[in-house]
Amino acid sequence: MKNRFVVYVLCLAMLNLGSPLVAQAELLTTLQAVEASTRAQDMAAVNAALAREEVRAQFEALGVESAQIEARVAALTDAELRTLAGQMADMPAGADALAVIGIVFLVLLILEAVGVIDVFKKFP
Amino acid sequence: MTARRRLRAALVLGAALSIAGCAARGPLLGPLATGTRAGPVELEATPFFAQERYQCGPAALATALAASGVDTSAEALVPEVYLPGRQGSLQPELVGAVRRHDRLPYILPPTIEAILAALDAGMPVLVLQKLGGGPFPGWHYAVVVGYDVERDWIVLRSGTEQRKVMSASLFFATWDRAGRWAMVVLQPGTLPPDPDFARYMEAAAGLEAVGRHDSATLAYEAAARQWPTEPLPLLALANLAHARGDLVAAERGLRAAVLLDPRDAAARNNRAEVLRQLGCVSLAHREIEVARTLAAGGPLSDTVEATARAIAAQQGEDAAGCPAD
Repeated sequence: MKNRFVVYVLCLAMLNLGSPLVAQAELLTTLQAVEASTRAQDMAAVNAALAREEVRAQFEALGVESAQIEARVAALTDAELRTLAGQMADMPAGADALAVIGIVFLVLLILEAVGVIDVFKKFP
Repeated sequence: MTARRRLRAALVLGAALSIAGCAARGPLLGPLATGTRAGPVELEATPFFAQERYQCGPAALATALAASGVDTSAEALVPEVYLPGRQGSLQPELVGAVRRHDRLPYILPPTIEAILAALDAGMPVLVLQKLGGGPFPGWHYAVVVGYDVERDWIVLRSGTEQRKVMSASLFFATWDRAGRWAMVVLQPGTLPPDPDFARYMEAAAGLEAVGRHDSATLAYEAAARQWPTEPLPLLALANLAHARGDLVAAERGLRAAVLLDPRDAAARNNRAEVLRQLGCVSLAHREIEVARTLAAGGPLSDTVEATARAIAAQQGEDAAGCPAD
């Protein structure tokens, strides 16, 4: 039963997606089935080709080497491209823990210097 | 009491309350201990790649990929996942890079239990943590390689630390604030512990979508074995067979899918179309008529009608060697 529901949603998504899938209209693609079942359906309205272009442009603007742009775009599904196209500037970008520890240390140091706290016992 | 003293008192009180808050929660991992999960688990053989500045993404990814048998390094992955303009790496790109190396990126359900179960099964878990706060969010990728129920801690490969021990409650807080994102990297054809059908099929379909058809085939075959009553893996394998031009195999798979669920209009629709391409017009016609009845009034009906029109337009006799039914 679950599966049939999945495929129904898939078809709905396919019909909304338009041109990129029309060439295969008679064969239902697997990805659309599973994506449609687990993601918000409003995504289906967004055109995948536009998202791809948008991500390409943003990669270039954010300093990805041009030789790598195509390969990186090619590794992403349509749903991921839509996510990135809309949120690349705001998504969490995992970087490192060191910067944060540094900032915490700096704050402690300032608080210590102005006498609010007293955690560095040997600090004059 | 001077202003400075009052501030000092407030800070001390705040710190005491937050410590009390942590203590009141009690051990996090203890309640998850079961008969088979009594002792500590640590995947000591998991390789380690120390990160360069801002590059925990490539480092954590290298750790997870290398643990699944991919010959790679943090430096080699920088051009694949590092985004200079954001000074970091984004989750979808880590997922995409796993596919580029012919591995299956399986996103775990957002529970601590799922992470422990993966470790029990020998799979390191790549996680996103939010370490900072306010204007300094401090997003960070690390790889969980162990846990100890008794001591209530988690062991990580993190940043420049090969073996970082973190209290379970601190780990949970930082992971929770980052949206509880956790991924395991699987060799195609292997399954995660306690696999979820929809999550697994989505990951496998992602491999197919980016053209990794051989890996996707292995993943779908594993799904067909794991969920023998689900028609979708068979439909997926048939679609791949069709994509490589093997119409006979595609038809055989779709027939099996229809047998699993005779009311599956999608499988019947696809089978009718493949039968048409094989030149088996009368059987295609019979199949699409059943699909039309099943799909009538539903969201599938437009697609099914389009298939029916294509079959109706096909002229000529049945080709030789068509299936009997």
